[in-house]
Amino acid sequence: MITTSDFHYQPSEHELEKASNSYLMSLIAIMGGLPLPIINLIATFVFYLGNRKGTYFVRWHCIQALFSQLFLLPFNSVGFWWTISIIFTPETITSNYIAYMITIFIFNLIEFIGTIYTAVVTRKGQHIEWWVIGGLTNLICKDK
Amino acid sequence: MVGHWRFNEPNLQRQMKKILLELLLSVLLIAAVWFGLSRVDWMKLFDIEQATQNTEEKVGDLFWKLLKSSETEISSDSIVAPVDSMLTRICTANSINRKKVKLHLLRKDEINAFALPNNHLVIYSGLIAACENEAELYGVIGHELAHMEKNHVMNKLIKEVGLSVLISMSTGNGNAEVIKETLKHLSSTAYDRSLETEADLTAADYLINAGINPEPFANFLYRLADETKNLPNQIYWISTHPESKERAEKIIEQIKGKDFPKADLKDSLRFEVLKESIK
Repeated sequence: MITTSDFHYQPSEHELEKASNSYLMSLIAIMGGLPLPIINLIATFVFYLGNRKGTYFVRWHCIQALFSQLFLLPFNSVGFWWTISIIFTPETITSNYIAYMITIFIFNLIEFIGTIYTAVVTRKGQHIEWWVIGGLTNLICKDK
Repeated sequence: MVGHWRFNEPNLQRQMKKILLELLLSVLLIAAVWFGLSRVDWMKLFDIEQATQNTEEKVGDLFWKLLKSSETEISSDSIVAPVDSMLTRICTANSINRKKVKLHLLRKDEINAFALPNNHLVIYSGLIAACENEAELYGVIGHELAHMEKNHVMNKLIKEVGLSVLISMSTGNGNAEVIKETLKHLSSTAYDRSLETEADLTAADYLINAGINPEPFANFLYRLADETKNLPNQIYWISTHPESKERAEKIIEQIKGKDFPKADLKDSLRFEVLKESIK
């Protein structure tokens, strides 16, 4: 799911810190915004905007962090609105609902652990590409 | 240096295919985990249904006790027996377990009937007196039965009062004032419009299954909606059930083309006795 490699140039210490921070940004948002999945995305997007003119390494990791938030967003949103409909409409709790919430919890947990791991390893200077998201970032983020 | 990261056309296509395949696999993996987990009966595992059932039983009995202590229950056979037989007729025709429904008739002039948790069906004498024929009363009984069968009563309470408050009531820790207010709320406010419509339409089906024309029920709603203007404080069942004319029209729409006895149900002798006794 995660591929570790060396980047094609050696990023500076400053770049490593900024790239690592892009993941930490999404983690802080996860802690603060669990009930509203959109908050994580907004926080990471704002961080990306602040660094979109940064070096290639920093931009690359900001975009990967942004996409990592985007990937689970639809699943989390379904879970969120399903819960709202149970609270405010005649919809009731079912085994399917509980199974869905456990499923998105598992995948959010995997993403959470993956994000911490990526933040730590990126800070050490290693380049990490996520399953699906790494390839997509390669397509979008170009070296100037 | 740059070339390593830039894609030419075939490489781009290959890369796109790889991403799409990975994306598809990821979505399939999530779906597979969900499917696998949904095979487990979580409701049973977490005892959710049992816990809700226990709470419903205790809260329902608590409400009924409170109501009984403040109102006069009718025990006269000439009144209870006809209503009981009407309830049994609807239950039997619609495969509803009659034994679980606890029928209570209270002597009160208010035109009101409501369902309490744990299948307590409360009908005020004022409502029976306001029914011009037997089919209208069948309609009201069917409507309240539908609220019970569709679990509207507990859903309304959970949403408006909260499950934690209901559980504390059921364990004897509820605030007496809160219990009183909740009971008042349940007996004097409507469900939301979609639930009321669902109960109306289900009631119409119940009546058709029992061989009763649902039109008088629609007429009853229509007539009382007009009378509400003159007696707003008396007609709880209508004033708490808004848009009665619209609801009557929906019932008529629903039963169009359905097979049921078109002529008005002739009132049974028992209903005549009932009307006399209720005065």
